Amino acid sequence: MKISKLLFSTLLLSVLFISCDDDNDDEKTEGAYDNGILISGEGGSTGSVYYVSNDFSITESLIYKNVNNEDLGKYLQSIAFDDDNAYLIVDNQNTITVVDRYTFEKIGTITTGLKKPRYMAIVGDKGYVTNWAEGSWGADVDDDYIAVVDLNTFEVTSTISLSIGVERIIANNGKLYVSHKGGNDTNNIISVIDISTEAITEITVNDNPDEIFFDNSGDLIVLCEGKTTYDPTTWAITEQTLASITTINTSTNTVASKLEFPSGTQPSLLDIDASGNLYYSVYNNIYKVEENATVLPTSVYFQTTAGSHYGLAIKDNNLYVVDAGDFASEGDLLIYDLTTQSKIQSFKAPIAASKIYFN
Amino acid sequence: MMKIFSFLILFLIGFSSYAQLDSVQHLNVVNINSIVLKKHSKGYKILKLSDSLIVNNTESFSSLLRYNTPIYIKEYGSGGTSTASFRGTSASNTAVVWNGININSINNGQTGFNSLNVSLFDNIDIRSGGGSIEFGSGAVGGTIHLNNDLHFGKYLKNELVASIGSFDTYHNLYKFSFGSKKTAVKFGFSYNESENDYKWLGYDLKNENGAYHNTDFSFNIAQKLSNFTKISFHSSKYTGSREFSGELPNPSAANEKYKDLSFQNLIDVNYNKNATSQRLKLAYLTQEYQYFANKNASSYSYGKSKRYLINYDFSYKITSNSSIESFTEYESTFGETDQMLEKNRRQFSQSFIFNQQVNTLGSFNAKLRKDFNSDYTMPVVFALGAELNTTKNTFVRVNGSRNYRVPSYNDLYWPALGNEDLIPESSYQAEIGVGYKTKNLQVDAGGFFIDTKDKIVWTPGGDPDRPGVWVPINFDKVLNKGLELTVIYKINLNKHYFNLNANYSYTISKDKITKELLPYIPKHLFNSNLGYSFKKINIFYQQLYTGKVFTTTDNSENYTVPAFSIGNLGGSYSLLKTTNSTLDLGLKINNLFNKAYQVLPGRPMPNRNINFNINYKF
Repeated sequence: MKISKLLFSTLLLSVLFISCDDDNDDEKTEGAYDNGILISGEGGSTGSVYYVSNDFSITESLIYKNVNNEDLGKYLQSIAFDDDNAYLIVDNQNTITVVDRYTFEKIGTITTGLKKPRYMAIVGDKGYVTNWAEGSWGADVDDDYIAVVDLNTFEVTSTISLSIGVERIIANNGKLYVSHKGGNDTNNIISVIDISTEAITEITVNDNPDEIFFDNSGDLIVLCEGKTTYDPTTWAITEQTLASITTINTSTNTVASKLEFPSGTQPSLLDIDASGNLYYSVYNNIYKVEENATVLPTSVYFQTTAGSHYGLAIKDNNLYVVDAGDFASEGDLLIYDLTTQSKIQSFKAPIAASKIYFN
Repeated sequence: MMKIFSFLILFLIGFSSYAQLDSVQHLNVVNINSIVLKKHSKGYKILKLSDSLIVNNTESFSSLLRYNTPIYIKEYGSGGTSTASFRGTSASNTAVVWNGININSINNGQTGFNSLNVSLFDNIDIRSGGGSIEFGSGAVGGTIHLNNDLHFGKYLKNELVASIGSFDTYHNLYKFSFGSKKTAVKFGFSYNESENDYKWLGYDLKNENGAYHNTDFSFNIAQKLSNFTKISFHSSKYTGSREFSGELPNPSAANEKYKDLSFQNLIDVNYNKNATSQRLKLAYLTQEYQYFANKNASSYSYGKSKRYLINYDFSYKITSNSSIESFTEYESTFGETDQMLEKNRRQFSQSFIFNQQVNTLGSFNAKLRKDFNSDYTMPVVFALGAELNTTKNTFVRVNGSRNYRVPSYNDLYWPALGNEDLIPESSYQAEIGVGYKTKNLQVDAGGFFIDTKDKIVWTPGGDPDRPGVWVPINFDKVLNKGLELTVIYKINLNKHYFNLNANYSYTISKDKITKELLPYIPKHLFNSNLGYSFKKINIFYQQLYTGKVFTTTDNSENYTVPAFSIGNLGGSYSLLKTTNSTLDLGLKINNLFNKAYQVLPGRPMPNRNINFNINYKF
């Protein structure tokens, strides 16, 4: 009895000890903005980044400005990360500002070779940045490209031309996957680029694909928002193509399955949880698609208190949305518990808050 | 420094020769807009910018207004898009009136102040407050009147101005005027251009893609047909092209270009006999812009409009102290953009104005206007104004009016977003002011409030069926309150002339729903012009203070534009000064103390810069 008790106690202690150790590891910070949530906002007068610590005890507005005493400019479209740095992509200024991801101290900028940069994927010491270029406004409509950035020198070393309307880009297994949301125009493809050969494969999906990510089985999940066409004289809606959640088999580069939305429903945000469930948003409603579901949900999973959602992310058991309000005032970050579907916390977010990252 | 100083000492003006002309002009003046405006604005403040003030700010219309009026100018970088906020109202609530005709754009309801050329106007009147019924009813904040003066009498004058300044800036102007007993002619031509590539103070950057050039013609002619009848014709044509400059942190990203053209024609016939006077105006105006998102590409978006206007005024003097006037106007406007097929709006309006003078005690106006608009049912609007002479040198003025602003074509018809259910914004306003007036000193202090409802705002929450989609709705309720103070002082001390023009305004523009201040409206605004002249020398100093502005609707301290204070110093010297001709050399140093400042965030304004000019009148 005694021995077993002792044994049990030792076991318990060691477990505690190990978990304590783990805790220590988590709390070891690399800088002021480690272990927290970064919210980026496109901006009114300037884009900005706000910080909320994981335990919600520390919040800070305009962290880039606080550290570097300057503004990012407009519009902060997205942030890409590697082990050490964060790359803040400001589209209208053709600028990527590079900072230490944990201290937010500015390391450098990339200001040449970019034209309306949108998103970046990082593979090794190379960054791959999607660029709208002139888009439909320019002489050459079809001039979208990926800028290949040397992350040691912060210089654009080469470009890869792609079809119009490049948007998100992610990397996996030596390949880049780009969604063609259409830019100022419209498109309906996913480009797959072999990094070593730069060979491009285009996969046709529903109109205006935006969010892309991999599910647990390595398939590519794509949210296609669908497109609305207007009569050129009366501006009445003449056509609304169907939105869909499309699954692409990445070994064959073909559409494996798709869940199509009814006409008129245009979801704009999608993310996946650790167990493979998908969550998408229509206005301020959250819908849940169980992993491997073959039909879309017919009822709302829950409704948030936001006016409408401009960004969505999932981590662990929490769902994060940003409400950009009137786009001319500070927005809100709302955090919901996915199990109880109740709001845990809310925090101030930047103007036109659009993206949520976990640092 | 010594060089600059000795330069300054060398400069002079042709100040006194102009001052004398004023009294002559009154007798034979053809363009009576300024006089009529004054007659119809009892109880309102009118600030007159004479040509001696105008010449101090020929660099741009934006800077003329910024340094000389109580109007806040939102300028997207020096030389860029520029709009006005008068008494805390929105850009479309300030009407620009050219020789008596409202010339605000039909598409967005505003006037871009860098698409107006300063030099060709002889004088500019700034009227604070609404109730300017003769010029439409949307001018809730105030009106800006651009006048070309013509007068009969025997004269022949030429004026040639050439100026060269920092950032490869050139202004050239030629004016010709001719008068006889029965004919008056004035012709003007101006050409301006600038690289506008000023250094951004505090950064290793400069203003890129900010170049502009523009050409302006103005032709005015008047003929006395009889002792009672005068006919005049005014025409003006402006063509401009400018790039939209970049922003922090990377000005090299800027690549936009904007071209605009406006063409205005007016025939004005005046008949004055005994107790009646009649006036017939026929106007044809066109405007066009082209916006190039990529200046190197041939594709662009555009907007254009044309307006036909006929106006008949009849005035009858009931007694020597009172008169009644009728204004009848019909207007047909066609507007289109690359996104919107041509739309036609027609409007018939009838106004009545009653003027009464009560001995030496004071005077008042009462005005009524009713519009019949093809798009809207319009309420009757009114304006009342009175001025009471309390003592010999002091007066009290009061006014009140109802105003409305019809939605612009963009508000109504913007593809897929425009809202044809919009109704006009409407507002009530009132003002009380006191003044002091002597030969040397004029002081005017007024307090105003403007209560606006159904204000049109573009918001992503406008249509409940389409949250997140930006649409215009009649939503906001706004209360503007404020004070305006103007001091004008002139003195001649043994041929040393001193003059001071100063404006201060305090503006609170509050959203009644959120209780927050509207963004981009400074509480405090101050400007002053201090001038000194002696013999051939003229020196002036301009000071501007613009208070902090919030840039967000929640008044977040995280996003503001800090207050700034800027000084300019200028002067001139007359090399030649005879009864028939003057030759002046002028110099102006803008941003004398080389301060870094921004009017709008991310857009640094010019560092210290110099402008040198030669002005020859003969």
